[in-house]
Amino acid sequence: MLKTTLISLCISLISWGLYAQTTTVSGVVSDENGMTIPGVNVVEKGTTNGTTTDMDGKYTISASKSENLILSFSFLGFETSEIAAVGRSNINVVMKPSVAALDEVVVVGYGTSTKKEVTGATAKVQGESLQKLNIPRMDQALQGQVSGVAINTNSGSPGGSSSIRIRGLSTFGDNDPLILVDGVVYDSEGLNSLNPNDIASINVLKDATAGIYGVRAANGVILIETKKGSTNSAPQFEVSSYYGIQNAANKLGLLNAQEYAVIKNEAFANGNDDAPFANTALGEGTNWQDSVLQSAAVMNFNVGVTGGSKNTTYSIGGSYFSQDGIVGGPKSNFTRFNGRVNLNTDLSEKLKLSSVFLYTNEERNILPENGIGSVLYNTINAFPTDPIRTSDGNYSYLEEVSDIINPIAQMENTHNTAWVNKFVGKEELAYQINDDFTFTNRFSYNWALVDAKVFSPLVWYGPGKAQNNALNANLDPNLVEIADSTFLERGASVYEGRSTYVDVTFESFVNYKHVFNKDHTVKSTLGVSVFDRHGEGLGATAYNIPNNSIEYADISANLASGGFLNNASSFQYQERLLSTFMRAEYGFKSKYLVSAILRRDGSSKFGPNNRYGWFPTLSTAWVASEEDFFNVNAIEFLKVRASYGISGNDQIANFAYRALLDGEGVYVFDDIITTGVALGRSANPDLKWESTRQFNLGTDFTLFKKFDITANYFIKNTFDLLFQPDVSAVLGSYGAGSTPPVINAGDVSNKGFEFELAYSTDRNKKLVFNTNFNVTTLSNKVVRTPDGVDFLPGAGFGVGGNIATRFEAGYPIGYFHGYETAGVFQTQAEIDASPVTQAGAKPGDLIFVDQNGDNVINFSDDSDKTMIGSPIPAATFGLTLGLSYKGFDFSANVFAAVGQEIIRNFERQQPYANQLNYVINRWTGPESTNEDPRVTTGATRNTVFSDYYVENGSFMRLKNIQLGYTIPKSVVSKIKFSSIRVYVAANNLYTLTQYQGFDPEIGSAGGALASGVDYGFYPQARTIMGGISVKF
Amino acid sequence: MKKFKSLFILSIAGATLMTFFACNKFLDLDPLYTQDAENFFENESDYERALTGAYDLLQGSFMNLWIGEIASDNAIAGGESVTDTEGLHAMETMTHNAVNIELRSVFRWNYAGVTRSNYILEYKDNLDFDGKDRILAEATFLRAFYYFQLVKYFGDVPLVVDQRLGVDEVTKLDRTPKAEVYAQIEADLTYAAGILEWTTPVKGRATKGAALALLGKVYLYQDKFAAAASTLDEVINSGNYALFNDFTKLFSVANENSSETVFDVQYSGLEGGGYGCLICLEGNAAVGFQGIRQYNGPVYGDGNSYNLPTQDLYDAFDASDIRRDATVLDLDAFIAAQPNSGSITYAIGGGGHTGYYNNKYIKRQGEIGLPDNDLTSPVNYKAIRYADVLLMAAEAHNRAGSGDATALGYLNQVRDRVSMPNINSSGTQLTEDIWNERRLELSGEGLRFFDLVRTGKAASEIDGFVTGKHEVFPIPQVEIDLAGGNWSQNNNY
Repeated sequence: MLKTTLISLCISLISWGLYAQTTTVSGVVSDENGMTIPGVNVVEKGTTNGTTTDMDGKYTISASKSENLILSFSFLGFETSEIAAVGRSNINVVMKPSVAALDEVVVVGYGTSTKKEVTGATAKVQGESLQKLNIPRMDQALQGQVSGVAINTNSGSPGGSSSIRIRGLSTFGDNDPLILVDGVVYDSEGLNSLNPNDIASINVLKDATAGIYGVRAANGVILIETKKGSTNSAPQFEVSSYYGIQNAANKLGLLNAQEYAVIKNEAFANGNDDAPFANTALGEGTNWQDSVLQSAAVMNFNVGVTGGSKNTTYSIGGSYFSQDGIVGGPKSNFTRFNGRVNLNTDLSEKLKLSSVFLYTNEERNILPENGIGSVLYNTINAFPTDPIRTSDGNYSYLEEVSDIINPIAQMENTHNTAWVNKFVGKEELAYQINDDFTFTNRFSYNWALVDAKVFSPLVWYGPGKAQNNALNANLDPNLVEIADSTFLERGASVYEGRSTYVDVTFESFVNYKHVFNKDHTVKSTLGVSVFDRHGEGLGATAYNIPNNSIEYADISANLASGGFLNNASSFQYQERLLSTFMRAEYGFKSKYLVSAILRRDGSSKFGPNNRYGWFPTLSTAWVASEEDFFNVNAIEFLKVRASYGISGNDQIANFAYRALLDGEGVYVFDDIITTGVALGRSANPDLKWESTRQFNLGTDFTLFKKFDITANYFIKNTFDLLFQPDVSAVLGSYGAGSTPPVINAGDVSNKGFEFELAYSTDRNKKLVFNTNFNVTTLSNKVVRTPDGVDFLPGAGFGVGGNIATRFEAGYPIGYFHGYETAGVFQTQAEIDASPVTQAGAKPGDLIFVDQNGDNVINFSDDSDKTMIGSPIPAATFGLTLGLSYKGFDFSANVFAAVGQEIIRNFERQQPYANQLNYVINRWTGPESTNEDPRVTTGATRNTVFSDYYVENGSFMRLKNIQLGYTIPKSVVSKIKFSSIRVYVAANNLYTLTQYQGFDPEIGSAGGALASGVDYGFYPQARTIMGGISVKF
Repeated sequence: MKKFKSLFILSIAGATLMTFFACNKFLDLDPLYTQDAENFFENESDYERALTGAYDLLQGSFMNLWIGEIASDNAIAGGESVTDTEGLHAMETMTHNAVNIELRSVFRWNYAGVTRSNYILEYKDNLDFDGKDRILAEATFLRAFYYFQLVKYFGDVPLVVDQRLGVDEVTKLDRTPKAEVYAQIEADLTYAAGILEWTTPVKGRATKGAALALLGKVYLYQDKFAAAASTLDEVINSGNYALFNDFTKLFSVANENSSETVFDVQYSGLEGGGYGCLICLEGNAAVGFQGIRQYNGPVYGDGNSYNLPTQDLYDAFDASDIRRDATVLDLDAFIAAQPNSGSITYAIGGGGHTGYYNNKYIKRQGEIGLPDNDLTSPVNYKAIRYADVLLMAAEAHNRAGSGDATALGYLNQVRDRVSMPNINSSGTQLTEDIWNERRLELSGEGLRFFDLVRTGKAASEIDGFVTGKHEVFPIPQVEIDLAGGNWSQNNNY
């Protein structure tokens, strides 16, 4: 052994002595169009010796003067070219654009692959295509860009969240995917903190190959890479900014004062009440929408620098973003500062340090939204006959409906702010053991400090309003009895809360790659991961803030004596994961590819009997176009993929497996009610994750060198959904206050088809056109609920109304369940002649359909209710168009969703509440209409949940349209800039829909079973903006 | 370079070791600052509080008061309509089957009681302190109480002792033969009686007398007459109990905790409640429900006309027996005797009407609780009273075949209190007389149906009673399904 080593060493030394002479090669790298390409990697083949081209595409490399000297030129989006350089000192290279960007790096979790060789269903979006849209949240920008990924905005308010659903809804619980930013866990709720300008690329793992993340992978995995520098490149500065004006894209058609008075008079007359308006000639009256919805500014300023020396690369950025709301303006402002430092450096030849640091500071002002009590709900239902302010200068009370308050007064009196300080980062050491093995250790953290302050001044919205916290219009405080006959005034209050959330991950893994006999590529990854998440919060309320003024809104300003009125609360939680994972890949001639994944996760969330789970995945691909017999000229590249695997969803409450002591254990001893302790929720030591088995069959191919096509078919079955259904009495779960254990039962199935098409003309054309088009179809069905559980009730309709959505076997998750209508009864004779008895029906009432065939419409049970809609689109479409000619560029993004329904649930069904103007077409007598029922304040079944309140929710939206101009290089270079682009753009310019609400794109703020229920959703604004981007 | 290599090898080894060996500890988290079921029983008061929770389920006894009467020849279900608490109407007509909400409640509540008792006993060795024996003995008594209810209603029931079960474990259980359940009950009560004191400073707690009286009853239900006799004699001979002198006032709140009380289920009128969760109430639901519907008059309060005594029961009494009117309220007669009888009104419910009301457990004007006072009666349920002990002892001595004299002595003590003439029969006639006396003395208290079944008289006394079927109630079908579907149903259901 020693002998061999010595001999090798001698030979090396001799060789060194013989050949250790260098030569210098230089040149320019350009594309087929003659444009020089900066940043191209130039490497002496077989060594680590290399450089990159400068801003003008020039390079100079010192290479060994070998007979076999080959220089390799590589750059993203171009085919790598290798050129023999023996005896040459000047080599100018023209790089060809790579077909289908097949060598594009795809991040797959603890490693990378290429688009050509990846065996799973993944999707990649470049950061630029998100940034271009100028949308403050990365996920909202991602909408429509990738098939199989459904993004819905839960609220259009600045800082509002979205729901991200990869390949459908798998559970009525948490459907959020796992999001990792440079490997650091980033919660989807907190995505507001991420600056889209910091993103280099997004990779989505859609199929079972996400299983490398095991128990967290069932909802898919989104891997976000932030911007990094490249070696040997001069610092490049980029400064960009935009400013926009937002407006409501749509206003509801509400009744004006005159219409309102006429309709209400008729409704009261029909209800045998006195008409409330003696005079109906009231004109337009108050347009509450116009008063509430306003123009609001949005602005952004970004600065960044990227570059690198021989051993170190860096990318540093900062940004400022501020957005006012179209409801409330500054009252719903969202402001964000971001800072980012990415640093990669070679500590030694074999040891690399990668460091990521992201800092966010954000402030969000929040108005009540989405539901009864929200500003928009009040706006919609406020009476057009009442002024905003009465003649005495006070806000009007809108007295006739107790839960509708003056929205203008409401906005003025709402002071609700949350601040987030967030630090996200990682330190990673990668050691190249030898040519085959790399060993990586990384420590990552996500630390967020969230502060909240809510000031509640004494307010009086009018007699009987639930939101009053003053005793009367003079704003006298309420009195609270704190002891027998001892009263204390309860004045203005302030709530302050602070909570911290900390995720810490340590990961250690070895990557191996070796090519045996040229044809056999073996890759392998083996590692461990340790994850800890904990958080705690503390909050308190102080009362009797001086002067009823926000100036003193701090707990320290508390004037309530004796501390009686203060209440404090706290929470804390902790969860951990301990995981080992491996991936083994084998490829034969880049033609036959197989990959196997196995992950073992241990989670503190699960009971001792199921603390550890194994998650296997197998995937394979065949690159048919590599076969010798393949000679279809039209098809440049063809790959067929298949994958199958099991992954988990661990997003359940901590300690759900444990028995709680929250039962009611109260008994009477000595005639005194004595409080003891009782088992509440029963234990389930067998509790485990929801598990998903997913099959994917896909293909990627390139047609005519210009069309890149990807298609996938998937079947995704989720088992062991978490329920709290009836259980055997023997478990003892049915004492007072006791509840059944959380158990695994229930299955959901998602099947779908995804299609993506990318097309681009050659770059050397003067007119460059490119487009991306994608389609996703989805069929979602609940397959099983636990024995004894027919359905899980979801969202309600109206106030205290019927359950409108359900989780039930045989139907989509959250489908709408209610009465089907068949027009309007025209005459009493028609009612009398009807074979179906509908109790209380009068001419002008909705005709309900008898579902169970008993010839009676049953209102006391569910027997005549049926499926009347689903919130899940049958298909979604995304389209991106890009066009550039000389310095001009144009782009457009379109998103469409079809086949889903929406429940119109923002109408307060009270005699005086305002209504949408469809009631103008109400039934007024025989043959007047067969669509809209009569109006009445009397008893009627027209207000029960029926398909009359369900609307077609399909829509198509022009998300972004943009026109830019890049000032010619010849001009900008004179002032030492490398590029200047100016643009104008519009977001959400036009939406094609039949839906009568503000916005058909409503998310599911209330969870999976509240999807498609419109509670007076805060709509997305229409934004017109202009911007500039400068590089130097 | 070597330095790095060793460092990495070390950290690989460390990480691997941690993953495979230290993992359990790493993942073994407890909820912070929270007492949950797995980290309880750390001090004496934890045991006391858990015991209070185990007592709580006794308050489900109002259901026993209904079923024990309505399923027998003593009462009809009554109520607003025939679908008002439909399960009771089915039991009234012996048409009950395996789908019955009220029977399911009995099954659920008593198993909840068993589970809460077992929970304490599961952790009996966690801690030692003075007085732990008493707590464990009370818990054991309660478990026996709940199991006795279960075995009385359903026959063979799964026996779970000193542990809580997981969801999957339940599906592996079968119904335990009645004899084994009884053996556990006997063992529990014997243990409890060995530790508990005859008297307790806290009204409502189980005593030695309660444990022995219940044990005697358990023996009697198994026809173990000698054991029953000696056990019940111990209660009688202790000298701690005596019959309360005025039978007509025995059931008033004012006279609770009298010398006749052996074991009362305690209720309070100081907490409100809702119809949605009757087991959550601290008041006695039976009392308000058994009140007179929309009654507007003196003495009584308004109620829901449940559990109405039959003519058959009324006629069973001798007219001179003061227990007749103390047990059965003849409402029209009562009203006619009032001074302003014309102004007294009440309504007849659609669930049936006999003209009679349960006069032992009925809402009286002086005994109402907080609103809704239909739900908040403070009247205790007399689970075991001394008259019952005397009559059980009499029966045990008589049927054991050795002590008719003793039996007659006990029986006539009960008759003496209500000034009824002594009985001097013997043998089987005495047995019949004792059984008859049980009806006269204990009607309206939820014992009748089980007495009829136990004595083999159910078929002759209850219309529709099918021998070989109705001795036990069906196991609720949903409970069979939820337990994995493997249990056999009771015969002929």
